[in-house]
Amino acid sequence: MTYPILAVAVLACVAVAAAVAVRRTPRERRPRGMAVLVTAVVMMALTAVFDNLMIGAGLFSYAEDLRSGWSVGLAPVEDFAYPVAAAVGLPVLWAAVGGRRQPGEGRGWAGARQVLLSSRPVSWINTAYPFAAAYLLVDQRLTPTLVVGTVFFLVPYNLLMYGLNDVVDHLSDQRNPRKGGVEGAVLAPGLHRATLWAAGLSCLPFVVALLVLGGPASGVALAVSLAAVVAYSAPGLRFKERPVLDSVTSSVHFVSPAVVGLLIAGGTVTATAATCLAAFFAWGMASHAFGAVQDVGPDRAAGIGSVATALGAATTVRLAAGLYLLAGLIMLLAPWPAQLAGLLVLPYLANVAPYLGVTDAEADRANAGWRRFLVLNQLTGFLLTLLILWVLLRRG
Amino acid sequence: MTGLAYLGALAVAIGGVAVVDRRFRLVLWHDARRAVVVVAVGVVLFLVWDLLGIALGVFQRGDSPAMTGVLLAPELPVEEVVFLTLLCYLTLVVYAGAVRMLGRGERG
Repeated sequence: MTYPILAVAVLACVAVAAAVAVRRTPRERRPRGMAVLVTAVVMMALTAVFDNLMIGAGLFSYAEDLRSGWSVGLAPVEDFAYPVAAAVGLPVLWAAVGGRRQPGEGRGWAGARQVLLSSRPVSWINTAYPFAAAYLLVDQRLTPTLVVGTVFFLVPYNLLMYGLNDVVDHLSDQRNPRKGGVEGAVLAPGLHRATLWAAGLSCLPFVVALLVLGGPASGVALAVSLAAVVAYSAPGLRFKERPVLDSVTSSVHFVSPAVVGLLIAGGTVTATAATCLAAFFAWGMASHAFGAVQDVGPDRAAGIGSVATALGAATTVRLAAGLYLLAGLIMLLAPWPAQLAGLLVLPYLANVAPYLGVTDAEADRANAGWRRFLVLNQLTGFLLTLLILWVLLRRG
Repeated sequence: MTGLAYLGALAVAIGGVAVVDRRFRLVLWHDARRAVVVVAVGVVLFLVWDLLGIALGVFQRGDSPAMTGVLLAPELPVEEVVFLTLLCYLTLVVYAGAVRMLGRGERG
């Protein structure tokens, strides 16, 4: 009964999403019900013909015990969910995306590009890599779960994290000359609704898929991950403005994909896994704290709190250095050769060293260190990958 | 060459839909940006649906000689992305055509 349940569940999701989207669309731009009906009928008729032809030609087949058994010829009735979902969903999407003659900023390719840029493509790898690496350390097979999870943590997750952040932070970012470019896009107000919708809608199918494909453990981990993403920027919670909690939450953004990857692959949190995750977490906190130093000036001017505004620039840099050192020391507890990963913190320590005595007034000097940090991540990722490959090959 | 048969049939179908689209300026020839965005989003969503079905063991790839054998993911042939593009594009064109024909009826 798996296939009928899947088909009904997807149709239900499409119906709900369509209903919500239609209600938010101005009346004159809504899809025409009669036309949708005609489209559904036409598409179902074509499916009846071509699905049979394609199955007859041996292009694909179905698990007989998972179907309802009802068919139109060779075609399972569940297959008709596809044309129905298309006939209902695509006209709604068409209306929701909007047309040329709409007033406001950001229409056209430039708008779509801005929304995509708000997800910080430079940072995509930072969340997808932990998921994929943790998954592959448990299960080296290429599975749909690995693909779905990696794609999710690559784009939609980042669109949610940074898009929500950019929308809510619009005011402070306007006063910060650093924002705009690889480090952050200033989103035009006309694009805010589009960004939030894109983030929510793009995450939804992946999250549902990951919940279905995983168990309770990975489900909880995913829920915590998403909660941390939302809590960071959402009005009312704004964890990003609470000293120390901001670094903790930010680190969760990068460590939780690894936890999800570990659990959804069927792994358990062994002592070794816990050690590596703890070190990764300390590294994440250190990096976030250091990243907050360069913004001390603009953040204070905008009345925004952070670990750096609370502790001062120099203290925050020292805190970051201490946490990097802690990460390295924690890895000493790991088995060989994973211990070698502890050495990877050394370049980061060297990177923050020049700023150990920086004053609040010249804190923006730390921006150079942040740019070096972004480049350093690429090198570290490379070395870490080699280490992981070595570990996997040693297992035999 | 037979391995390209399925892809070839899909290309012909998409081409046919495009010809109708161009003649009546329905979708891609009406608003290219919107068309590309909606079809792209549709294909991604259907792919997630497919992957879910594959992971649950419902779908299996066939051994037909008409396919290239190139897989994007376990049990997911590259032809499936092209097929889903056809599905989404055709649905939009049929819908846009229906809107136009029904609209004409109301006025006339």
